[in-house]
Amino acid sequence: MDRTQLLLALAVSLFSLGFVGVMVRRNALVLLMCMELMLNGVILSLVTFASRSATLDGAVLVFLVFVVAAAEIAIAIPIVLLLARQRRTLDVGAWSELKG
Amino acid sequence: MNLLTLIVLLPLAGFLLNGLLGARLGRGFVSVVGCGLPILAFLAAIRAFTQLDGAAGAALVENAYTWAVVGGFTFEVGFYLDRLSALMTLIVTGVGSLIHVYSTGYMKDDPGYARYFSYLNLFLFFMLLLVLGRSLLVCFVGWEGVGLASYLLIGFWFDDPAKAAAGKKAFITNRVGDAGFLLGMFLLYHTLGTFDFDAVNAAFQGPVPPAVSASLVGVLLFIGATGKSAQIPLHVWLPDAMAGPTPVSALIHAATMVTAGVYLVARLNGLYLQAPGASQLIAVIGVATAFFAATIALVQTDIKKVLAYSTISQLGFMFLALGVGAYGVAVFHVYTHAFFKACLFLGAGSVIHSLGGEQDVRRMGGLWRRIPVTFWTFAIATAAIAGLPPLAGFFSKDQILWYAFASEHGGSPVLWAIASFTALLTAFYMFRLLWLTFLTPSRMDHETEHHVHESPISMTGVLAVLAVLSAVGGFFHVHLFLEPIMPLPETDHALEHLELPLVVLAVVTGLVGLAAAVYVYRSGLARADRLAQRFAGVHRLLSGKYYVDELYETVLGRPLMWVSQRVFLGLGDRRLIDGSLHGLAALAKGAAGRLGRIETGNLQFYLWLTVLGAVASLAWVLGHG
Amino acid sequence: MSGTDLLLWFFAAASLAGGVLMLVARHPMRVALALIGSMISLAGIYAILGVHVIAVFQVLIYVGAVMVFMVYVIMLLDVRDPSFLQRYGRAVVPAVALAALLAGALGAAAGGGHTVTATELDALQPGRTPASFGVDAFSVSFLERYWLHFEVTTVLLLAAVVAAIAVVRTGRRRDG
Repeated sequence: MDRTQLLLALAVSLFSLGFVGVMVRRNALVLLMCMELMLNGVILSLVTFASRSATLDGAVLVFLVFVVAAAEIAIAIPIVLLLARQRRTLDVGAWSELKG
Repeated sequence: MNLLTLIVLLPLAGFLLNGLLGARLGRGFVSVVGCGLPILAFLAAIRAFTQLDGAAGAALVENAYTWAVVGGFTFEVGFYLDRLSALMTLIVTGVGSLIHVYSTGYMKDDPGYARYFSYLNLFLFFMLLLVLGRSLLVCFVGWEGVGLASYLLIGFWFDDPAKAAAGKKAFITNRVGDAGFLLGMFLLYHTLGTFDFDAVNAAFQGPVPPAVSASLVGVLLFIGATGKSAQIPLHVWLPDAMAGPTPVSALIHAATMVTAGVYLVARLNGLYLQAPGASQLIAVIGVATAFFAATIALVQTDIKKVLAYSTISQLGFMFLALGVGAYGVAVFHVYTHAFFKACLFLGAGSVIHSLGGEQDVRRMGGLWRRIPVTFWTFAIATAAIAGLPPLAGFFSKDQILWYAFASEHGGSPVLWAIASFTALLTAFYMFRLLWLTFLTPSRMDHETEHHVHESPISMTGVLAVLAVLSAVGGFFHVHLFLEPIMPLPETDHALEHLELPLVVLAVVTGLVGLAAAVYVYRSGLARADRLAQRFAGVHRLLSGKYYVDELYETVLGRPLMWVSQRVFLGLGDRRLIDGSLHGLAALAKGAAGRLGRIETGNLQFYLWLTVLGAVASLAWVLGHG
Repeated sequence: MSGTDLLLWFFAAASLAGGVLMLVARHPMRVALALIGSMISLAGIYAILGVHVIAVFQVLIYVGAVMVFMVYVIMLLDVRDPSFLQRYGRAVVPAVALAALLAGALGAAAGGGHTVTATELDALQPGRTPASFGVDAFSVSFLERYWLHFEVTTVLLLAAVVAAIAVVRTGRRRDG
């Protein structure tokens, strides 16, 4: 298997694993971390292609994605904190009021 | 020249004026408009009649307007005046006006006075449409319209459910007959392409007979006539119709509306002459009805019911005449019957009015001194209906019996015998009525006896006029007057020598009836009650009106109700229609309930669904890209 | 197989193992550590690919800032709540099934195409040196071509800071 194929397979696997984690885990923080895993999978695929290009543009894009990821986590964690404080638990099952 | 249209429209104007404004403008206005317009119509009819004779016997035709043009077919509203319709118009407007005047006295204290007169005028309008109509179409409009007016007037005191039910019964029974009428009409139009009476008669009298069975059309139209003219089997509504005010019974159910069937057959004499099968049927049903109704009248105790059955019986006589081809004679009997029957009904009304509402003959008696005018007019009319010479009934009934015996067009001794026996019964029950009401010792209760008083001049005056007409009306031989348009049938020459003996026999029959009635009822009900006990079975059968109503109820009424309730209401309406609606609603509700389970409130489940969708789209793109 | 390839395989396995551990561990702290391990392996992969700057950024920003923050918060909170005892939600099997489908679909999408050999790669990037993806090249490109994006990201970060303060304030107000 050649390098690119391996890395793409890895990226897809990380994304799927992260997805399973988001679906399955009940702790809110763990949920967030699994989302980060998904994001990492995506970044890996982006880097893989960026490394094969002639210009630096891909790499710059990766950097910008890092910035956004950081900003995102900076907001997401306080939100989760507030939610947890409301229900006094980190369990996402505590929040299910939008029932039909 | 629009004289005929004027005649028809005058009562319509009365209906509108009294209907819309009458309640507000008071009794005086209503009386003047309600009686005045029919009187004007009568005068116009006289004028039209004089114009007719001047035109050397040709008919007056007026086309009022074109009703509809549908495809290639044009439907006109036209009026037609020949000797027959002129005579009918005079009867309708003349007797009608008299009854309107009578009503001003009879209905004086009724709160629905304006409504009454507007309905009465409406009736006149439709009746005139019927008799003056040039085509079957206009005639049918009038036919339906008089049925409507009859319903409105029978159920005039609609607060009483029994009276309202009587109105409904009349209308529905008529409707059954109308089905036959319509089918006959359609057949004629389909074959001949026209509804006009003159064209139809000419087509059937012409050299080439039309491609439709005259007997079939004749029978269908006759079914309509049985409904309107209360013949077997659609006679059941007429006795119940006595629930309406008595002047209504006189006008509609004696003098005019019920004769519409007779008019129809007479008008289409060209067709019926070519329909021996239909004519025979008419004669048989006519004589059977006459006999049947007369037997029931023997045991009736309500004064109006006796007269109702008497009307059915006399109509049977008219149809008998029509059936043997003596169309002019039937119309002659219509004419005389109008006078004496109206007089009898109005007289009964006067009795009821005097007794403060009593209608049961068993509680009357001894009135001949207390209400003399009513008594004498009633007596004259009774003698007329019994066929005693020289009163009107004698002439017309005699001619009917003669043609029933001797006509080449279906006359037979059997018909004559039954008819004669019926005439005997007629004399009997009519004189029975006269004696029980007026001449026997009083069986009234003291309250009523105190209140007995003669009716006002508006009522007694009309009675007097009608009594005079009943007496002398017979001298105008209508059947000869109508002969140019309705030739009298050929009579068997071998029997012609029997004509005078038969006349004598008829008179004797009447007198025998009178004598028998006097014998049984002279001193009241005692002898009659003993006879009734002796023949208890027969008495019960007659009192129960041969249980025809019960038969209809069981055979038609209840199954129909069952079908309506169980099938149409239960299955059709509730299960099918409501059920499908409920089903749709339940479907929506169920679907919503099940779909609603998607909203679990669980974030992760939503995510799962989203990604599922994304994967599906991706797969689709990859598959079809 | 060359040394770099072996290393590549090693790092790939390591990051995958980290991912799996994340799903399995009960204590959030262990999950965090597994994620950190995964991220560092990824950084190694980036380095092997030659984009050293990105590898460094991965470690600095992702591990150094994001995961530290996460660990901080994990330590702050009481993690022995119902989600500790019951790790998984209800629908594990459907989730795994869907993830497999997802992986299949993505793999199929990515799989089409032709692989680039080393020679073709050289043709794509003539004169590529380790420095061509270095910091200098990076900074120069930011100043020359991507300065607007740079400024916009600062605005984004500012917005994030403001939002974080707002969230904290709200939280504080609610506590009274």
